[in-house]
Amino acid sequence: MSFSLNEIEAMGKRAARGAGLPWGLAEEAGKAARWLTARGLPGASLLADILSRNDKHDYGELAPVDVDGVWQAPAGRLCPLIAGAALCDRAAEIAGGRVIELGETAQPLLLLPYVAGAVKLTGATIAIAWGDLVVTLSPDGESIEGDRSALTARSAECVHCRPAVPVDAPADPAAQVNELAVPVDAASWSRLAAFAQRIFAPATEASRLAGAGAGLSDNN
Amino acid sequence: MKTVERAQPASELRSPDVVMRLARLGSLHQSRLSFMRVLLRRMKRETWTFDRPVFEIDANGVGTAVYSAHGPEHSYSLVAFAHDLPADQRSDRVIAEAWDATFTLFDGVPTEDDIERLSWNVPKQEAGRITASELSLSRANRSVRLFDHVVKRLAAGQQPDEEQVEAVGYLMRTTAVYGSGKFGAADREAICDRPEFRCPFQVEMLSVFLTRAFVLDLVEHLARCRSPETAVVIEPARRRRFGIGNSTGLGMAPFLVSHPMLINNWIVCRETALARVRGLAKASVDEKTLFKTMVSRAKRNADLWRSEHSLQIQKVTMLKADLAHLEAHLAAGCLEGEAPWDRLYRWAEDNLSIEGQEQLASLMLEPYGALVDDLADAMCADEDSAFRIDGSMRLDELRKILDEVYGFALAIDWTSPDSQARVWYVSEEKLEPRLGERFEEPIEPYEQPLAPGRDAVGMAHDIDKWEGEPSVAAFLLAHPEHRHIARRAQIAKKLPYAEIRDNTISSALLPIDLLRCKLSFFGATHFDPRSDRWVRINMFKGAPFPHEVATVATGDSVDFADGDDWCYPPLPEVAT
Repeated sequence: MSFSLNEIEAMGKRAARGAGLPWGLAEEAGKAARWLTARGLPGASLLADILSRNDKHDYGELAPVDVDGVWQAPAGRLCPLIAGAALCDRAAEIAGGRVIELGETAQPLLLLPYVAGAVKLTGATIAIAWGDLVVTLSPDGESIEGDRSALTARSAECVHCRPAVPVDAPADPAAQVNELAVPVDAASWSRLAAFAQRIFAPATEASRLAGAGAGLSDNN
Repeated sequence: MKTVERAQPASELRSPDVVMRLARLGSLHQSRLSFMRVLLRRMKRETWTFDRPVFEIDANGVGTAVYSAHGPEHSYSLVAFAHDLPADQRSDRVIAEAWDATFTLFDGVPTEDDIERLSWNVPKQEAGRITASELSLSRANRSVRLFDHVVKRLAAGQQPDEEQVEAVGYLMRTTAVYGSGKFGAADREAICDRPEFRCPFQVEMLSVFLTRAFVLDLVEHLARCRSPETAVVIEPARRRRFGIGNSTGLGMAPFLVSHPMLINNWIVCRETALARVRGLAKASVDEKTLFKTMVSRAKRNADLWRSEHSLQIQKVTMLKADLAHLEAHLAAGCLEGEAPWDRLYRWAEDNLSIEGQEQLASLMLEPYGALVDDLADAMCADEDSAFRIDGSMRLDELRKILDEVYGFALAIDWTSPDSQARVWYVSEEKLEPRLGERFEEPIEPYEQPLAPGRDAVGMAHDIDKWEGEPSVAAFLLAHPEHRHIARRAQIAKKLPYAEIRDNTISSALLPIDLLRCKLSFFGATHFDPRSDRWVRINMFKGAPFPHEVATVATGDSVDFADGDDWCYPPLPEVAT
């Protein structure tokens, strides 16, 4: 099915919240799914994957413990929705020359939208690399070098995030923002919808009558 | 266009502590910067043309119609599906599943294939799918009271009864107008570069403007079908007294809280307009005359404002008294001399109710289109630009923002049940937004993040206890539950009107205040609350129809070069 980017963002936010993330992180997860989808990357299905994988896990197991050294999660794999937000929060430090190393990280592609956020905040060009892949994000767009199959890796052993020099003419097709409806596979959408469903209150007669407060007759 | 020399710097904007209170936001009135007026001024200025390529409606009122609007670069078409709705299915609520008419605004002029595709989806509304070729999805129900009356009178060769027309004000009311990517429609980001859609909600306003034209055509068509020999159409000036209704529930209330940057920009523009006028050294004879006429017309508008809701009746009563008081003050010569508008506004602060003060603020803009209309272009927002949290901010700076912006919340006793009585939530039933009682219903786990005051206080407590690295980044890594409010606080630091400075979950909350704020920026009039969380309004009442946009002077003896005075009713003695 095809969805608008607004639908993907809204669904992503609700699903992330339904999976237990606090609202602020859920808002950023929705933006992440949208950002990737707009560039032809599988944002919705990756989000569905990570939410499924981390369902019922506590935040503390998935978040980096020591942010001065190598970022590592107590549970083993960092959640990119949490680590991404923490990376973006360190935007000024990265722009100022700091290299941040992340240990094992699930679905590293999901980090990209957060790095793009750091680029937006600082105006700096930032490179993020895992495996044989380097993605350089600058205020003018993104470019991808190396092994593209690593883009959708289920996890990376380590990820580096560092300031970089702007790449000339980022002509990668992935940098072409798509503003029309984009296809999302039905299975991923259903998985997101199942998470989202958790944030909606069950329908009850009392809620139906009182909660919306239509009050007087609305058929006149 | 005449230019107005600014004789002195604009006076200061009103403080957010004054403006961003629910009681005041719930007293706002439409103004020159309202989205309906912005749309009509543009259509007139750019000489848009209109046609009706399809009108295939049977004698039972069932069928399809297409209304096209042609601007300088793009055309847009309202595709309307008219239905035969059994009376017991008519409901304005989101949970309704059938309507008297359903609509979409198509980007361009639809082919037969487009209309065929849309006919399978638009009548289903939320249960259907539209595409990036469509810009909005909406529906409307008849006002049973007035619709039947008008068809009957027209069929019999008579004009509708004016009192009945004024008592209801519209033949159909829309119950939701979805835009911006909903149900597969084009994302706002895909069209907001077009000049006609730069100002917010222009898609929705265009859709409603064309819907009004369709509804009036429909009622005249049905009268003709019923009695071809005797039927008449509605006389033009009387026809313009029909607006299009809108029935709005809680769905609109969270919008203002969820879009802090957008609401800031709307308020900044209105406040800037007011400050520019207050900054004028003198008022010319023409400006004074025009203002006095508009005050009289606003008074007539208040006289025609009907509501059965006790709070609104009280507010309208105060408004009428305020306008009478204002007229007397004007007659005493208050606009003579230096800085007349600033003096007038200061007088109002001491002498009028909040409802009256806000009516005056809107009226003061009326003579000064050349001074304030440009602000409409600044009412949009690139919300992405303020989305990312600045983690490098020092924590004590964030804490300071909480004192400055959320002082109202820090002063509330959050242990009292009344302070947290309500929960905003979304029902699984068609995702209808609802408001529940925290201590009486099992709904807290489903709470939406719509209580910035409470959340700011929660974050303040944790900041005060924090002993780690004193940066926002470190604090939020340990306290991810505060990311939402930290983002808001940083936005509010930059944008003074981003945050409503009142408790949005208190037992005293009136959600209709939030609805009215948003609807006033649309340009709505005749707010008629049906409960504390549901309101009916009128849109485009008095406006020209598409075929009249270029030519009709909707005003009276005063010369409105831009024809933009339709939103206040003409005075009885000059009405035709």
